[in-house]
Amino acid sequence: MSDEDVALRVRALESLLLEKGLVEAPAIDEIIDLFENRLGPQNGARVVARAWSDPDFKARLLENATDAIVEMGYEAVQGEDMVVVENTPKVQNLVVCTLCSCFPWATLGLPPVWYKSAPYRSRAASDPRGVLAEFGTEIAADAEVRVWDSNAELRYMVLPERPADTNGMSEDELMALVTRDSMIGVTKALAP
Amino acid sequence: MSRVITREVVQGLYKRTGTARVDADVAASFKVGDGIRARNVHPTGHTRLPRYIRGKQGRIATDHGVFQFADSLAHGGGKQPQHLYSVCFTAQELWGSQAPARDSLYIDLWDDYLEAV
Repeated sequence: MSDEDVALRVRALESLLLEKGLVEAPAIDEIIDLFENRLGPQNGARVVARAWSDPDFKARLLENATDAIVEMGYEAVQGEDMVVVENTPKVQNLVVCTLCSCFPWATLGLPPVWYKSAPYRSRAASDPRGVLAEFGTEIAADAEVRVWDSNAELRYMVLPERPADTNGMSEDELMALVTRDSMIGVTKALAP
Repeated sequence: MSRVITREVVQGLYKRTGTARVDADVAASFKVGDGIRARNVHPTGHTRLPRYIRGKQGRIATDHGVFQFADSLAHGGGKQPQHLYSVCFTAQELWGSQAPARDSLYIDLWDDYLEAV
C-alpha cells in the first residue's frame, strides 16, 4: 500500500469517527500533538544526556528510575513503573516484550514496527547476539548480554554507554547522540 | 455514560495514572538470591508467564514489591496483589548448552508463577 493509500484510508476513518460522534476533532489534534511532540525518544535522550553529565542524577536513575524520570517532568501512561539498566564495556542490555509490544511511552514514545514483530520478539530472547550483529552492533568477546523481557508491569529503558571523545559536550549536544534504538539496547549511542 | 473521546480524555493519557503497584501488606514467598523454578502450567486464558520460561530454573534478582496480578485481573478475578520479582535465567538454562555461558535473561514474574527449588 502506498503512502497516499494509507493517508486516504486514515482520512476515511477519521471522517467516520467524527461523523458518528465517537471522537471529537480536538481529541485527534491532542493525540497527534501527544505522540509527535510530547511523548517520544527525545524525552529518553534528555534523561540519558543528564545521566551522562550528572553522576548524582545517574545514581538516582539507576536506583529508582520512576522517580528520577518524573523529576525531569516525564510523567505519563506506560511509564508508571520504570527500570533503567546501564550498559558498560562488559554488559550489553537489550529490551524486548516477548508477549506483545510493551514499551516505555513516556520516555521513548510508541514502539517501532520491528519491535512489535514476531521475529524480533522471539530472536531477541533466544539469540540476542545474532540480533545485535544484524543491527551492526559489535559486542566485546568477554562481554555479557542481558535480555530484559518486559512481559509484566514494569517498563525498561537502557542507559547506553557515553561515547568516547565527548568530554566537555553540553547536555543538548549529548542528546543528539542518543537514539531510540540505543535506549532499546540494539545499538550503541552515536559517535560525535 | 458518554463514550465520546474528547480532548480531556486524551489529556488524561499524559498523566501517570495507571500504575499496577498495590499499596498492600503482602508477604513475599521469596527473597533476593533464592533459587526458583517457574511452574509448568498451561493456563487457557491470559497469562504473562511465557512458555519459554515454564519449568525453567532461575534466581530472584530483585523484588519489585506488590503488584496486581495481571492473570487474575484479566479473568475478572480481582487484583490478587502479590510480589513481583525480576528473575534471572541463564541463557543456557533457557536455550541449551550451545548458548553463550555469560548471557542471561531477566523477566518479571509474580509469586503465583514460582515454586522453590
